Amino acid sequence: MFSVLRGLPRALGSAAAGLRVSAPAPTLRQLLQPAPRPSLRPFGLLSVSAGPPRRPGLLQPTGPCACGCGLGALHTEGDKAFVEFLTDEIKEEKKIQKHKSLPKMSGGWELEVDGTEAKLVRKVAGEKITVTFNINNSIPPTLDIEEQSSEGQKGEEQEPELTSTPNFVVEVTKSDGKKTLVLDCHYSEDEVGEEEEAESDIFSIKEVSFQATGESEWKDTNYTLNTDSLDWALYDHLMDFLADRGIDNTFADELVELSTALEHQEYITFLEDLKSFIKSQ
Amino acid sequence: MSLVIRNLQRTIPIRRVPLRRNVEIVRNILGVEKFDLGIIFLDNKNIQHINRIYRKKNIPTDVLSFPFYENLKAGEVPQPSFPDDYNLGDIFLGVEYIFQQCKENEDYYDILTVTATHGLCHLLGFTHNSEAEWHKMYHQEKQVLEELSQRTGAQLQPLSRGLF
Repeated sequence: MFSVLRGLPRALGSAAAGLRVSAPAPTLRQLLQPAPRPSLRPFGLLSVSAGPPRRPGLLQPTGPCACGCGLGALHTEGDKAFVEFLTDEIKEEKKIQKHKSLPKMSGGWELEVDGTEAKLVRKVAGEKITVTFNINNSIPPTLDIEEQSSEGQKGEEQEPELTSTPNFVVEVTKSDGKKTLVLDCHYSEDEVGEEEEAESDIFSIKEVSFQATGESEWKDTNYTLNTDSLDWALYDHLMDFLADRGIDNTFADELVELSTALEHQEYITFLEDLKSFIKSQ
Repeated sequence: MSLVIRNLQRTIPIRRVPLRRNVEIVRNILGVEKFDLGIIFLDNKNIQHINRIYRKKNIPTDVLSFPFYENLKAGEVPQPSFPDDYNLGDIFLGVEYIFQQCKENEDYYDILTVTATHGLCHLLGFTHNSEAEWHKMYHQEKQVLEELSQRTGAQLQPLSRGLF
């Protein structure tokens, strides 16, 4: 199946995702001469009871932080460089941020966000449809640097656009409300970083099961239909079932846009939290 | 064996089951239900891309067939030696192009069925490069669609009608 497309050269992804945060290069001086490490904890007791004698510098209580803040917190040169790096990184990330607020999904979906988890809810003719996804670990790995450089070194000037393609769970509850049909959906790997010659659906249904409505805990005793070896006709019915409820390729595209925006927003917030943490007393 | 449908486009909202139902019948009429078959929905941009690469025609089109067996005589059913070779190949449907060509009084899924049938005939060695070849193909499509029409109540005409 799809033998023709398998033979075609695939478009290579544009660049590596992992390069978004490059670690600051420590200077040789920092590597060789660790900054003084004043400790808040007096290790006096340890120095008495422990076996071999320890280097006195490590165990003696020290004075306030050497950075000049006048407080007793640990502020190394590395921390200072880290904060400077984070300040630049946050500035850069905000510059390339596409959406200052999260993009809206078409089709009357209402969005609820709880940290990294987002929930889209829609009610149609007595049915409640919920789509849930989590942006954690939702950016698939892309090609490594070696492969990219062989692609013409186009990645040098432009930073790659990262795309968040989270697995998402569709829950459909009928008006009687007793059971919820749960469909576990994944984006196809073909779609990631490949503009051409994809051979899989944009998203696919991986598992289907029922859950008692309102029951948040998953029960292992519930039957789960795995679609790996499913009859294709049944699979197509399930895909049409989703399409009839507004979950089709266009929805999947919009969900990627929303998820990518949320992921980027959370990433910037994380960087800001990290910066505050490093700076805090 | 399997009929696998893939939808790789966003332009036309499309349901799979109506086409599957008809293509299953067509496979049955042609006696090739034991063979795997892939049907892939593409938009104009992507079918144009494939059309340019494989046919040197830089325009969108309605259907492109990629046979698993490339040297079949028109209408010859392959005789595979291995289970993996029970495969007819893939039919790429330009569903956006077909939608644009579909007339107001025509049913879109009927036209998809007619187009897929044309593609399936190509997979079985039929061509329309000469009038004689077209004649064979036209009659095969006509016969299949008439039988399908009898079973489903639709009124379907071959895609190759009027080519010569």
